Amino acid sequence: MKTDFYFVGLGGQGIIKLSEIIAHYGMEIGEKVKFYKEVGLAQRGGSAHGEVRIGDVFGSRIPPFSADVMVGMEFSETLKAIEFLKPGGVVILNDHKIYPIDMMSETEKYPKDEDIINLLNRQKVKLIQIKAAEIAEEIKFPKAENIILLGVLAEIISLDKVVLIKVLKQHVPGRFIEQNLIAFDKGVDIAKNSVVK
Amino acid sequence: MKKLLTGNEAIAEGIIESGVEVVCGYPGTPSTEVIINLIPKAKDLDIRVDWDINEKVALEIAAGAAWAGKKAIVTMKMSGVNVAADSLCSIAYSGFTGSMVVYVADDPGTSAGMTEQDSRHYARLMIMPMLDASNQQEALDFTKNAFNLSKKIGGPLFLRLTSDVAHAASDVQFEENISKDKDNPFFKRDVAKYSKAKASFCMNQHQEALNRLEKARDIVDSELEIDKVRYGGKSGVIVSGSPWMNLQEAISEYNLDISWLKLGMVYPFSQEKILSFLDKMDKILILEELDPFIEEETLKIIGQYGKKIKVMGKFDNTLPKIGNYSFSIIKKALETFLGIKLGSEMSKEIVEKAKSLEVSRPSSFCTGCPHRGTYYALNQAIKQLKYKKEDIIVSGDIGCSFLGANPPFNSCWSEVAMGASIGIAQGLKLTGIKKPIIATLGDGTFFHSGIAPLINAVYHNIPLTVIILDNGWTAQTGFEENPGTVDLYEGKKNKKIELIDVVKACGVKNVFLTDPYQYKDTLEVLKEAIKYKGVSVVISRRECALQASKRKVSLPKYTVNIEKCIGCRKCIKELACPAMSFSFSKENKKGVMQITSACFGCGLCKNICPTGAIEVIADED
Repeated sequence: MKTDFYFVGLGGQGIIKLSEIIAHYGMEIGEKVKFYKEVGLAQRGGSAHGEVRIGDVFGSRIPPFSADVMVGMEFSETLKAIEFLKPGGVVILNDHKIYPIDMMSETEKYPKDEDIINLLNRQKVKLIQIKAAEIAEEIKFPKAENIILLGVLAEIISLDKVVLIKVLKQHVPGRFIEQNLIAFDKGVDIAKNSVVK
Repeated sequence: MKKLLTGNEAIAEGIIESGVEVVCGYPGTPSTEVIINLIPKAKDLDIRVDWDINEKVALEIAAGAAWAGKKAIVTMKMSGVNVAADSLCSIAYSGFTGSMVVYVADDPGTSAGMTEQDSRHYARLMIMPMLDASNQQEALDFTKNAFNLSKKIGGPLFLRLTSDVAHAASDVQFEENISKDKDNPFFKRDVAKYSKAKASFCMNQHQEALNRLEKARDIVDSELEIDKVRYGGKSGVIVSGSPWMNLQEAISEYNLDISWLKLGMVYPFSQEKILSFLDKMDKILILEELDPFIEEETLKIIGQYGKKIKVMGKFDNTLPKIGNYSFSIIKKALETFLGIKLGSEMSKEIVEKAKSLEVSRPSSFCTGCPHRGTYYALNQAIKQLKYKKEDIIVSGDIGCSFLGANPPFNSCWSEVAMGASIGIAQGLKLTGIKKPIIATLGDGTFFHSGIAPLINAVYHNIPLTVIILDNGWTAQTGFEENPGTVDLYEGKKNKKIELIDVVKACGVKNVFLTDPYQYKDTLEVLKEAIKYKGVSVVISRRECALQASKRKVSLPKYTVNIEKCIGCRKCIKELACPAMSFSFSKENKKGVMQITSACFGCGLCKNICPTGAIEVIADED
């Protein structure tokens, strides 16, 4: 048995932290874990992604057609993960768009929502769309977008929340634990009430 | 005990468990994290861990320790071996009484830029054994094995990882006991071993080095489980490095009945192992990233012993010489090798459609990056001196400073190797190019390899303007300190060296210091420096904004006065600052320019706005 998680987004969104928590969750439940992170110049707002493989696998990179779960923190960055998605897998898509400079100076256009959604649907995935940035604003903790998505993920694929919270606490600074737990619970609640398409 | 460790973290763990006392290196992706992980532990472990000026010096320090009988390691990226090579060759001939490991990280697929150099060739060139780890567990185990082997043979070893192993993590079994060596340092005077003063010394040392290779091979074959073999069907794969992991994944995924021989020691070769593997196979696939290194050695053995067996790999174009080997590449090679189809194919159309919609995100300078101010002022200086931008060659260099090659600045023309910007600029000038020639490099790069070429320019009086973008850090690899770093490190005894003094001591008469946050001053300084007919150096000094932020340096932030903003977007087009954001709204047809909370407060944008709409926020708390 194995579960492959593909996390994709932009540097600064906390996507690597999110991957790291899932990787350590895998360790905590006593499974074999592979964890790959692509950062490069990501702290400068470039593409960033994490791959976590829990269970009986060899390679640290997820093969095409194999990711059971994908979390996309930036809308269009999701496109970079499409070839790795397993048909029937789960996609948690954060409805947050960040425009690069050349789009703001109008030399390029951002892809249309329906084009991205169509491609995901053609991969026959279970799609959950979340507006984590808005929720993060609501709870007055704009940095918690990633932890809200962690809550959503935990609920949708039934991770052991007691273990996950233990790992979460180890991976956020002490003074932010309370706020992160609120964000996590908020994510769980939203997932309970959200529609999987 | 198990921990989730990257390949680099696993090497750091191996260094601790081996009781290494001297750790040296120069930062370079993908090798940097070994030392980064050890620095905070150095005090407790009572060992020397630090960044040195460049790879050659770092290597010499490690060798000195090994000559005194101690355990030492030096870490570097593949390009670093080129820098260290001169001393390494000599040291590898001499050997020592202690132990020394040279950790080199190759980067197939260039995750961090630079060449796809295959450092395994250095093993042959330097007459040094090389261990090549396929995963994080091996990274730890091979580190310990490398120290044991080095001690037993009395010479240095290479330990090699590739970026996929160095940067990825997995669950690694480790021990908590640390072996400590209590011997006093002792260096025995022996010029026949430690100098090259006579032909007989050199030839004897050459023979000794060759003997050490054989000894290493014997120990690995008889005592250690560094090479691994699995017998299945008569189709065999000889494999090394990270492709071994994907090979096993493919075998398990598609239930393949194939045999493999996995080489952990990639140099010297075990003729015996390869021969006995070949004897049991009908055909062979050689699976290794980058150059056909193992493939050549295997073909040599086949030739020498007159074997008749089909070998597939790079020479028949079954596999590429460039890039890292993804699962898909290995799967495709296995399909060709076995002549069967493995698994189903993903719809190419979906993948291509997704690729065509992808948003490209060109890398720019960070918010508040002082280099933005330097390159903006440089472009303006060129313009005001009535030169066309395409006439002024800017010879760039390794590091963050090279982001000046990207839009919207498009300043740098070339990038070669650490410090090479200054040498290349001289060669260009000597061809008779009349217009000014400029070299740009960072402070870390200058200290690493920029001093010698600068002296050369002064010595030969070759006119050029060198701009040292001094942000106080070796920033791009992850903010390591260098001799010019501001004195931030608590508990560190390192002494700061003033860059201006170094430049002046190189014989440069025209040295300018400017702050790139002060646009008008920087512009004037650059114009003056470029007009000067000899060698001029501009030190454009301001601390890296990311590092300054970490130190809680806080400057007044800026905002856009919407009343004055005409929506021309000159600021965003010319500066590409990540703190700027522009959007259209129903209420505001001309668009809304915003400076977000990411603003660091460099203030460059206020110099650019044609209507003075960018204003400082008065009461910043």
